[in-house]
Amino acid sequence: MLKLVDLTKVYRTEEVETTALNQVNIHIKQGEFVAIMGPSGCGKSSLLNIVGMLDNPSSGQYWFGDEEVAGYGERRLADIRKKNIGFIFQSFNLIDELTVFENVELALLYHDIPSRERKERVKEALAKVNIAHRESHLPQQLSGGQQQRVAIARAVVSRPRMLLADEPTGNLDSANGEEVMNMLTELNGEGTTIVMVTHSMPHAQYARRIINLFDGQVVAENLRAA
Amino acid sequence: MFANYLTVALRTLIKHKLYSAITVVGLALGLAAAILIGLFVRNELTYDHNFTDADRIAQIFVTASLPGRAPEDSVSLPMPAGPALKQAFPEVEEMARLASQTSTIKRDDALFTETVAVADPTLFRLFDWTFLRGDRATALDDPASVVLTRKVATKYFGDADPIGKTLLVDGRSLNVTGVMPDLPANTQFAFALLVPMDSPANQLPSWLREHWGGLVTLTFVKLARGASPSVVDAGMPAFGAAIPPLKTSTGEIRFGDILRFFPVPLTQSHLHPARNGQVVGISPLEITIFSAVAVLVLAIACINFMNLATARASLRAREVALRKVVGASRGQIMGQFLGESVLLTALALILAVAVVEIALPSFATFLGKPSLAFDYLSDVRVLAALGGLVLIVGGVGGLYPAVFLSAFQPGPILKGGPAGTGGGRLRVALVVMQFAISIGLMVATGVVYGQLSYAQGRALGFDKENLVVVTDLYGAEMRQKAETMRDTLRQDPRIASVAMAESYPGSATENNTGIHRPGMTDDQALVVRQDAVDDSYFATLGIRFLAGRPFDPQHLTDAVPVEDPAAPDRPRHGAIILNQSAVKRLGFASPEAALGQPLVLPVRTGPGVQVTVVGVVEDFHQASVHAAVSPGIFLLSPDRFSQLLIKVKPGDMPGALDLIDRTWRQMVPDQPIPRVFLDAQLQGIYERETKTGHLFAAFSGLALVIASLGLFGLAAFTAERRTKEIGLRKVLGAGVTDIVRLLVWQFSKPVLVANLIAWPVAWYAMRHWLDGFADRIALNPLLFLAAGFSALLVAWATVGLHAARVAATRPIVALRYE
Ligand SMILES: Nc1ncnc2c1ncn2[C@@H]1O[C@H](COP(=O)(O)OP(=O)(O)O)[C@@H](O)[C@H]1O
Ligand SMILES: [Mg+2]
Repeated sequence: MLKLVDLTKVYRTEEVETTALNQVNIHIKQGEFVAIMGPSGCGKSSLLNIVGMLDNPSSGQYWFGDEEVAGYGERRLADIRKKNIGFIFQSFNLIDELTVFENVELALLYHDIPSRERKERVKEALAKVNIAHRESHLPQQLSGGQQQRVAIARAVVSRPRMLLADEPTGNLDSANGEEVMNMLTELNGEGTTIVMVTHSMPHAQYARRIINLFDGQVVAENLRAA
Repeated sequence: MFANYLTVALRTLIKHKLYSAITVVGLALGLAAAILIGLFVRNELTYDHNFTDADRIAQIFVTASLPGRAPEDSVSLPMPAGPALKQAFPEVEEMARLASQTSTIKRDDALFTETVAVADPTLFRLFDWTFLRGDRATALDDPASVVLTRKVATKYFGDADPIGKTLLVDGRSLNVTGVMPDLPANTQFAFALLVPMDSPANQLPSWLREHWGGLVTLTFVKLARGASPSVVDAGMPAFGAAIPPLKTSTGEIRFGDILRFFPVPLTQSHLHPARNGQVVGISPLEITIFSAVAVLVLAIACINFMNLATARASLRAREVALRKVVGASRGQIMGQFLGESVLLTALALILAVAVVEIALPSFATFLGKPSLAFDYLSDVRVLAALGGLVLIVGGVGGLYPAVFLSAFQPGPILKGGPAGTGGGRLRVALVVMQFAISIGLMVATGVVYGQLSYAQGRALGFDKENLVVVTDLYGAEMRQKAETMRDTLRQDPRIASVAMAESYPGSATENNTGIHRPGMTDDQALVVRQDAVDDSYFATLGIRFLAGRPFDPQHLTDAVPVEDPAAPDRPRHGAIILNQSAVKRLGFASPEAALGQPLVLPVRTGPGVQVTVVGVVEDFHQASVHAAVSPGIFLLSPDRFSQLLIKVKPGDMPGALDLIDRTWRQMVPDQPIPRVFLDAQLQGIYERETKTGHLFAAFSGLALVIASLGLFGLAAFTAERRTKEIGLRKVLGAGVTDIVRLLVWQFSKPVLVANLIAWPVAWYAMRHWLDGFADRIALNPLLFLAAGFSALLVAWATVGLHAARVAATRPIVALRYE
């Protein structure tokens, strides 16, 4: 599904140059569930952002399917991203002024889907994460776990082939964390490729493969027996 | 403490450059506009206030009610009125009259024309101009004396002392007896030279001096100390009744029935409603309108300030919280923010003063008041007014932000909670208001311009293009020369046609007569405007005939013979042409029905002139279009011709002018040619409206600029504040266009709502303004749409810039540090 070849990301600010990713080579197949682990600042988010096409690498290749997208501009990336990738963030990133329903619907607004079908799919997604009864609440009125479930609904409502999650359980207590992991597993079971960054060893165990990053480099890959 | 406030205020200004620049520039533009309008309005309100006895001087106005016509107010009075008033009213201590004329002045071999005032020598006992040279008390005692204004003195005598020197005015040699200062911007007097009433250079015909039927001089009286103008006013009906009646063929004219004089305090004279419709005056309505515009423009600038200050409140929240923690009271914090806004306004004022300095010369020239001054250094009152302006604007603009910011609770903010950027709804309301004002002003501008071009265009009823008029050819000798000139010009292929007449459309002179159908008495006569015109007058002006024919020199019966003083009773006959209004008012069923009908023009003695209708022309505007076309008649009376109307063929205007000027020089070598272009002359009549139009356009443009400055700032801020949300939308698939549309729509809503407010208000106001015109345009809904759409375009342009910038950034920039 995607292949990173000698991928490097360098951040330049006025004073310093930080190499966040250094010659990373990763191959992820369709339907995989991959966890990325490593100490803070080792480049996990940078990697996920590039994989999610929210940012461009400084050098190296990024094959998405049989397209090399590393040098693509924002417009083309946005188009691929829209059709293929869903995101879940550690801090949920829900829009405060919109209701639960509207937040989820937002992910379909830019997809040319008729209003009727859109509404149905939003309801379906909300039901799937067990939050349908709160659809007209504002994010502020929900607990953290509930907010993350809304975020998951929003990520999956557009039926992406791949789901990227940056520390999805980082702001949650263990019970809520478990629940989120179960949902991701379920989605993976339905065929969605999942790439997840996490600090939690137990949560990483849900994945089939664990990639360890250190100082911008892949130091280990463990394949967990199914 | 104060030093600390100042430091913080200045650092905030410097740190947020865009915001500071928008606020200061917006305020400065608003203040500059307000100052300019203020100078203009002050000038209008202080006309002739500076004479020592200004509060005791009254100007006499007259309301003339001619039968069959609406009463008309005039500042020009019959010449005998002044002396009669002085005699009749013991309260009148002094009286002076003044009339204006254009004279030719000869120096060496060069000829110049100047405006000369002919005045009673008592003029200086009412108006105490400080003479630069000579003795004011005796300056006009000698008939051959002349007083010069400073500029004219320099023009003709350089730096030398002109007292005792002679000046050739209209061929008469006059002795300079005084030099007075140039007239200021705020006076109704307009002259370059002043000669006494009995001067040999006085052009007024002597019969006018005893004639109550002409409206000729400005007349002023100085009342005895303690005397009230209302006493004089109360005595006016009796005064009118005592005027000796004028005998006519069938009766007598009692002027008391026609003329009602009334005194107006000098200081109120300039803006008196009775001046309405005159070129010289400006109406109180316009003063009010411009004052309102100044306030509106300032309001828009203040709103910018309020909006940006509250929008950015969250940035100052920490500072407020900390000050409260260390013991500042809410009042102190409010004081701090109010102080900041006053400081900002003061900065803006400095910029505004510079803008005014730069703009004033052209503004003053534009208003026709070149001596309009911005004397903030010498006049304490101006300085005080500017100070007051800063306090008011700074106070109004700063009050809401101060209340808003000082209300922050320190606890939650210092724990890192959100400070909020509340007041969002109020901000939207204020933006709506700004745009409503801008749109309203745009509509007003459009209506003013529309009415103007309508008035100047086809509404006139005649063709003003390529028409040159040689004016004021009075006297038999001049008329003779004019006729020769006409015949010469008619030969030239560059000239389309030449006509002679008593007046031309737009010229100030108007001559009225009674007229009635046979069998009626003279007091049943309809009063109509009469003009003596020749056979080619209507063709030259392109005026259409509805029935009949123009005058024909071949028809011996067309011309009205001159009255023979030896035999005033001898019957006189002639032809007459009527305009459409006269046909209606005389009761004819149609233009055709009027043809061949007899009419009577009563004269002073004898049976009157018997005329027959030979033609009917379409109505056309001979006076201002402010007034409806009045009934008018036209006679072939060559003895009254004094204007030469020359229609030039399009193509070679310079050549034609050269021909006209050369022909004139051959005929009248000792006088510059008094020629005008008809279209330019008409423009003069509509000058006031034209200027109102230009001023409106300028100030409504300015209002829109200031409003969009504010919108720009607000959009910058919103774009910043919504960065996270926009980033998120992009992550979820929104494209650049989606984001731009989102932001642009957010800022379009207030502009759309603004239309709903601006339209009805502008419609109502402009309806009212148009009511002042007899012939007016209809209010076109397209104009309202266009104004609204322009505002929308401006809003899009300002917001679109930010939106595009925000939309083009990588979403990751927005989300990274979440
Ligand atoms: N926009 C940026 N500019 C400069 N340095 C950055 C930027 N984003 C991340 N970094 C740096 O790159 C490194 C990797 O960061 P990140 O990918 O966020 O790590 P992780 O998610 O593993 O904690 C860090 O040293 C971080 O400081
Ligand atoms: Mg990270």
